[in-house]
Amino acid sequence: MSLEGKLALVTGGGRGIGKAIALKLASQGADVIVNFFRHRDAAQEAANDIEAMGVKAEIVRANVGDPTKIDEMFDMIGNKFRRLDILISNAASGVGRPVMDIDLKAWEWTMNINTRALLLCTQRAARLMDGRGGKVVSISSLGSFLAWPTYAVVGVSKAALEALTRYLAIELAPQGICVNAVAASAVETEALKFYIKEGLVKDSHHITPAGRMVIPEDVANVVAFLCSEEAFMIRGQTIIVDGGTSVGLLALAGREDDEHD
Amino acid sequence: MTVEEQIREIVARITHVDKSIITRESTFKGMKADSLDVVQALVAVEEAFDVEIPDEEAQKFQNFGDFVSYVENRVAQKEKV
Repeated sequence: MSLEGKLALVTGGGRGIGKAIALKLASQGADVIVNFFRHRDAAQEAANDIEAMGVKAEIVRANVGDPTKIDEMFDMIGNKFRRLDILISNAASGVGRPVMDIDLKAWEWTMNINTRALLLCTQRAARLMDGRGGKVVSISSLGSFLAWPTYAVVGVSKAALEALTRYLAIELAPQGICVNAVAASAVETEALKFYIKEGLVKDSHHITPAGRMVIPEDVANVVAFLCSEEAFMIRGQTIIVDGGTSVGLLALAGREDDEHD
Repeated sequence: MTVEEQIREIVARITHVDKSIITRESTFKGMKADSLDVVQALVAVEEAFDVEIPDEEAQKFQNFGDFVSYVENRVAQKEKV
């Protein structure tokens, strides 16, 4: 499953899931451009780790919620590399509020970063992939079809992202571009540890059939597979990485009840 | 326009507060800014001055004056380089 000679862009690639994806693609031989927005040190650290694997790394600052910044990022990639083989649309943000408290600003902020960025980045990436084919993978969440407290606007943005993934997969297929998504349940990142510590999210390893929480590398493994030629016939799909949580909900509800007895 | 005046304009635009009432003692809470306003203000200031304001530093700001002082220092450091 070699990605040798490929050039990948990972948005939000300096931390958490994005970093794990960037490192995984590098471990398969890809050169990686790590996009970051507000955490340069983390992005530089990821780039150093990537270069230690013997491939090339580059960091580029851009707020993917801003179309001008997306254009500037792709102008740089076009001018410097003249190609792109893999786009991982991972950068995400969101405002945690109940539906009735979602205002226009919160809606636009979340949708622009989580959903519109996939459209705009893919439009620019497809031009750099033209004639050579490519892979696009977006990162979604179980919140696209499950309703979690205060997750509404993020969940909606992820549902739209998955729908867009399907349309992109069909419309870009003639150019040899494979487009898919990976949806994860709560992933054990530094951010999640903070939320658990603050009591905002429950540690869910005990309700995961696989027996532990999803870690960033679990997501990265599937993303890397979708970027390989072995995944050529997978198009427009959202692959769920949740240790069985979503299909085991009813059985697990019973298990939770048992624990309360 | 000074760094302080530029930041005042940015914060006023995002929080919809009249810039004339934003003093160095003003707080985001006092301006009724929510967490998204704060993030947007940080982002807008970072982009305006091409500096980075780590969240850990931003959390230490007690008021608008702290925010301005931090950015002034970062801008000065950048100019030295």
